[in-house]
Amino acid sequence: MYVRALPTTDVNRNTEWFTYPGVWTTYIIILFFSWLLVLSVFHCSPGMAWTIVHLAHFTVTYHSFHWKKGTPFGDDQGIYNRLTWWEQIDNGKQLTRNRKFLTVVPIVLYLIASHTTDYQHPMLFLNTLAVFVMVVAKFPHMHKVRIFGINGDQ
Amino acid sequence: MITIPYLTAVSTYFSYGLLFAFGQLRDYSRRIFDWWSTNNLHGYAPICLAHEDFYIRRLYHRIQDCFGRPISSAPDAWVDVVERFSNDNNKTLKRTTKSTRCLNLGSYNYLGFGSYDEYCTPLVIDSLKKFSPSTCSSRVDAGTTSVHAELEECVAKYVGKPAAIVTGMGYATNSAIIPVLIGKGGLIISDSLNHTSIVNGARGSGATIRVFQHNTPAHLERVLKEQIAEGQPRTHRPWKKIMVVVEGIYSMEGEICQLPEIVSICKKYKAYVYLDEAHSIGAIGKTGRGVCELLGVDTADVDIMMGTFTKSFGSCGGYIAGSKDLIQYLKYQCPAHLYATSISTPSAQQIISAVKVILGEDGSNRGAQKLARIRENSNFFRAELQKMGFEVLGDNDSPVMPIMLYNPAKIPAFSRECLRENVAVVVVGFPATPLLLARARICISASHSREDLIKALQVISKAGDLTGIKYFPAAPKKQEEVKDTIKLD
Repeated sequence: MYVRALPTTDVNRNTEWFTYPGVWTTYIIILFFSWLLVLSVFHCSPGMAWTIVHLAHFTVTYHSFHWKKGTPFGDDQGIYNRLTWWEQIDNGKQLTRNRKFLTVVPIVLYLIASHTTDYQHPMLFLNTLAVFVMVVAKFPHMHKVRIFGINGDQ
Repeated sequence: MITIPYLTAVSTYFSYGLLFAFGQLRDYSRRIFDWWSTNNLHGYAPICLAHEDFYIRRLYHRIQDCFGRPISSAPDAWVDVVERFSNDNNKTLKRTTKSTRCLNLGSYNYLGFGSYDEYCTPLVIDSLKKFSPSTCSSRVDAGTTSVHAELEECVAKYVGKPAAIVTGMGYATNSAIIPVLIGKGGLIISDSLNHTSIVNGARGSGATIRVFQHNTPAHLERVLKEQIAEGQPRTHRPWKKIMVVVEGIYSMEGEICQLPEIVSICKKYKAYVYLDEAHSIGAIGKTGRGVCELLGVDTADVDIMMGTFTKSFGSCGGYIAGSKDLIQYLKYQCPAHLYATSISTPSAQQIISAVKVILGEDGSNRGAQKLARIRENSNFFRAELQKMGFEVLGDNDSPVMPIMLYNPAKIPAFSRECLRENVAVVVVGFPATPLLLARARICISASHSREDLIKALQVISKAGDLTGIKYFPAAPKKQEEVKDTIKLD
């Protein structure tokens, strides 16, 4: 019922909220409820709904984790302005529990989406492309790497 | 240690996610709309980066009427809050000429010096007539009067150190002094919940900064050991200087620092201790000398003691107290002393008179009464709030008590409901506090009478029922006073 919120040592207010209890559960609940929402709005098959959820999840998380740089407030004087949210989490330390969880979620979504659509063609291609881009973006070797200068600084 | 109901944590994340999503949608539609309309600002660079003010525009402005309320009287136990209205959904607020008399639970008026005082105010007015409102120059030019010299001696004696230096602004005391004390090649270890002024001073100094878990001496020891073993970042040479920065009372938690353990660890590893007593000087301890007196720490063990006069003394400015050599060095080097305007003379006189009242040197025992009253008021209020089932942070004897709200919608709801009942409270949210842990911060004053506190309790209980923030069962459960080794008396 009650959880203890241990104080963190993360000074970056933009990423520190991810270390408190309840984030993982909220994330999974949002995904599940958006699947129900898509099912009820579009009247499609469950597999199609999972595909839509997977692709929407890809768009939203790619944009907020790997595209947007900096923090949404100005108090930290712009020291994180060159780093995306993914590069800011856990102070840049790789392979922490949070990072592993966030890498596993798109993979699990991909497996569910491709299983429930019976690996049929247009959906399978789109899903695979999405999960490939997502997982490669989260590799430790891709920390601060900007391929071909995409999303680099001016 | 904050205890959150799990469902509240999940719903708070969800609410923030929703607010964030709506903010982004509005930003996109604004961008599309602006693309269609013409703008005649070609060639101008943008004032701020695209999404740096996202939080202010899309989240803070929606509830802007709960923050920054203008007042039209001195901030005593009761204060006149100016009414405001908005025609465009809180984007701009317009003041009216009416004001409501509200119970003031938001001012840091710990000893009640915030308004007319029978001993201090006549002396301040005399000083205002004799000197002028401002010295209009820095301390080294023409800004040192006899009052300034008397103030520095008075502060040094009060705090228990050989010498002190006073600057005109409390924030600037930290951000201008820390770069003078430590530079590149040094290490600053600061508590994770330190105030922005300390963070700015530390960043401006060029030293390496490491953070230890809030008020956890064991983690401080681990960080110290690691850092001393590793040395400077790339060269691994030994550190030139190590300074540990802690605060006396943390203003957002109401917790008192575990000073004896921290001082003993710093002595063991030969690190300097910098104590920021902004909220604790004048408010705790038997004669109001702050956290060292309360916890029985010898002031000779704390190397640099810093404080401000805004909270308990009803004035402005900050001080640094330390050894004579340290203060002499600061007088030669500190930019706040050499270039900034000195503290205004009537304010200095107010501080001297306030200290005299606290120590009883004005011939009455009002000081001792004030100190006893603030301690009683704080303990009574905290105990009653906890009995009602609120989650209140902070230690016993601390006059700052945050009540946890958590959900972002409860922040404006609680604030507006209390204002409707004529109680003015301060609510704090992200990014001043962690995202999940929004709170309403109550500051108790010695000028609050028992009836005021009872009225405040009734109003807060009603607002708490309406917003659903009584997270604990309404029974006398003492959760936050379990600090193992320190006896607080």
